[in-house]
Amino acid sequence: MKRLKLSLRKATPWYLLAFLLTGIMAWLPLSPVLSAFGNGWVIQDLLDPRTLGLLGNTVALATKASVLAIGLGLPLAILATRTNVLGHHFLRLCIPLPLFVPPLLLAQAWHGFSGADSALMAAICLGLSYAPLPALFAARALRRQSPSSHQAALLAGGPKSALREMVRLALPGACLGTAFAFLFIASDFAVPDYFATVGEKFSVYAGEVFNQFRDQNWRQGARAAAPLLALGLAILGLAWFVDCKFGNPQGGKVTTPQRLQLQKWHPLLQIIFSLFAWLAIGLLVLIPIGQLIWESGAAGPLAEGSWLQRSQTAFADAFTRGRGDFLRSLQTGLGAGAICFFLAPMWARFLIQVKGWKKAFLLVLLALPLLTPAMGLGIGAIVIFNQDWLRPFYAGPWLPILIFAGRFLPIAIFLTYERMRTVPSSQEEAATLAGASFLRRIFRYRMGGEIKVIWLGAAMVAVFSIRELDLAILLPAANASVAVRYFNALHFARDQFVAAFGCLMTLLLFLPYMISSSFQSSHE
Amino acid sequence: MRSFALLLALTACSQKPDVVVYCSLDQVHAEPILALFELQTGLKVEAHFDVERNKTVGLVNRLLAEASQPYADVYWNNEVAHTIRLKRAGLTAPYQSPSAADIPPSFKDPQHHWAGFAARARVLLAHEKATQLPHFIQDIGQSSATSAGAMAAPLTGTTLTHMAVWADIHTPNFVFAWLQTALDSPLSIAGGNADAMRRVCEGDVPWCLTDTDDAAAAIANGYPVEMHYLGQSQSQPGVLVIPNTICLIADGPHPEAAKSFIDFALSRQVEEHLAAGRSRQIPLRPHVPTPPTMQIPGKQFLPMAVDWEEVATQLENILPRLQQLFTS
Repeated sequence: MKRLKLSLRKATPWYLLAFLLTGIMAWLPLSPVLSAFGNGWVIQDLLDPRTLGLLGNTVALATKASVLAIGLGLPLAILATRTNVLGHHFLRLCIPLPLFVPPLLLAQAWHGFSGADSALMAAICLGLSYAPLPALFAARALRRQSPSSHQAALLAGGPKSALREMVRLALPGACLGTAFAFLFIASDFAVPDYFATVGEKFSVYAGEVFNQFRDQNWRQGARAAAPLLALGLAILGLAWFVDCKFGNPQGGKVTTPQRLQLQKWHPLLQIIFSLFAWLAIGLLVLIPIGQLIWESGAAGPLAEGSWLQRSQTAFADAFTRGRGDFLRSLQTGLGAGAICFFLAPMWARFLIQVKGWKKAFLLVLLALPLLTPAMGLGIGAIVIFNQDWLRPFYAGPWLPILIFAGRFLPIAIFLTYERMRTVPSSQEEAATLAGASFLRRIFRYRMGGEIKVIWLGAAMVAVFSIRELDLAILLPAANASVAVRYFNALHFARDQFVAAFGCLMTLLLFLPYMISSSFQSSHE
Repeated sequence: MRSFALLLALTACSQKPDVVVYCSLDQVHAEPILALFELQTGLKVEAHFDVERNKTVGLVNRLLAEASQPYADVYWNNEVAHTIRLKRAGLTAPYQSPSAADIPPSFKDPQHHWAGFAARARVLLAHEKATQLPHFIQDIGQSSATSAGAMAAPLTGTTLTHMAVWADIHTPNFVFAWLQTALDSPLSIAGGNADAMRRVCEGDVPWCLTDTDDAAAAIANGYPVEMHYLGQSQSQPGVLVIPNTICLIADGPHPEAAKSFIDFALSRQVEEHLAAGRSRQIPLRPHVPTPPTMQIPGKQFLPMAVDWEEVATQLENILPRLQQLFTS
């Protein structure tokens, strides 16, 4: 006991470091925005019919999109992770791909392909964009199913019962992933604006928040963001509760059961499910990416040369003009990911230690940077860090790295915590008694068999950092980035350059994931 | 991890800039101008850009947030009203550039806080097959015949400026009554001018109200579209011509290099360059060489006379109501 207390004392400097870093990169820049919440946000604001109408639109759109995301993501995760559908290895690699493409790019590709408009189309497009989130969370839970529970379900009720058991295990994780999807969808106004152009006119609350920020009195924007923030907290809290209460309790080193042999159930089933899976992947990935590749060589009637020549020129142009931006975005994304790689396990470990209201308060505090509009976080960062004595830091690459890490850290923490809490603490305790350092205990003994989840969290932080636009415009060293160049070019025309640049951006984000996934597969 | 640290170190060691320019003009058009300046002067420019997805106000927000400790030296805006807002907020400093001497006085600030150059005109871009087109801006969205097209939501950029000009010519109430009828009609409301232009090119709508740079891009890409100038009868105020504006940021870190950049941007050479480029920006000076197809205000079409200070005041007045009207 004495030894354990001593080890806890040894951990304190690391927790202090986590607090300090998170304070600098998340809570400090948030403080001007949070101070504005108390500055006159009254319930009348929320009860204003226009506000309620906009919030209603947002909830309706985000709910429809989230339902689609989980409806597509959950079966895909089951089919790709636990069944023998044709090409399941490749299927698993393809699932996260839409996350690497900015939703507006997908929206334009989908509009180019289908010609459809309307609020429903916005919901479909956003649902397809974020379907990988529930799929990834569900897949992780499914890989941890114990072989005995799988066998028991198979023996009790055949493949049908085994599938039901898989759904039961994966659903809580998928709900948490869907909650994150809901947050991203509710804060997007560009895609709804795009699909509201022709036909039915509608707006979402994120547009109102953005409009309110564009003033000398940016506190008004912060105030306007409060309902969206409250909504986000409620959704995330609910999903967190569901995942903790009903999530897969199996932790530590688990051998994933054998894939379900669908043809043994019914000879045609493997083909039917394979068709469904590849149709879903087609919707998620192949059609929009295919549309982009086609657009890289397509042009107006006056264009010269063949499609291939135009496409080659577009890709060469995109690479030449965007080379520096690719490097800087990669730097910012990798930097933010690396910081979260170290911080997320520390926070997860600390969250396991604290209980009751302290835990709830800490969770809210940690989730805030993700729930606050990026515009607010960016302006807060300017207000705090744009000081004469901090000029080199303000202008340098570390500011965006820290702020991006602060914004997306909650994703990495939630992922790591969700896994860490299921890992038995016996190995860590033994390591403590053997005198292992705090970091060694966490990374080697507690999460040694689950290190992939920390990598996944860091990778997601890196991906979202590279995609982030609002902060990239506001922070000096982040402005020269792929996101700014892409959206700037998109304004003028959706031409070959835009399509080729979008493809390269997707490739840039997808390549590290593909390599790491192949590496993991070969070791499984 | 070692290679990552190396990547960080390499990219962190970039050269310090001689002048920092915040630029709302499209990156693809501004970058060659900035490169030309660097080549001619040997000064290094650090440029920061905005995007239409964020309604091109990100940099204005940033300038306002950085007011106590400016990071930028120069703001190159692609319109006028926000520049005047910055002047009124005390963020700009006066500078009488020698290059601005031959720019018409209506496009310069009397106190020399800003000067205009290379403009865009507000035009109707129509599909060749479109049969029923509005001839005056106040016709748009007022009848079934003039509601089939599109315009951008007037919440930002040149469409917002256009509404502020219109409110100055008539009254805000006139503009809101007109917009309300237009909103109730089947008129399509796009997120931006480029969006509206794309919808015409793709055949979703027969025409749209947009800027000459977007229209020129559509024509250059070979789409079957053509430009029309609205309000060309003597009883009408003419076509709105909106210049780029440039201003010196007060207490910016590099004032001398900033003045050099402003002199360069306001030069005849830059106007000629922007006129010849894909965005086909219209020179404000007479006798600047232009492509043969370019329509010149006062020669090929009747331009509108605008009091920009009044327009900026109107913009402040109407913006909250416009936000209410177009975000609901």
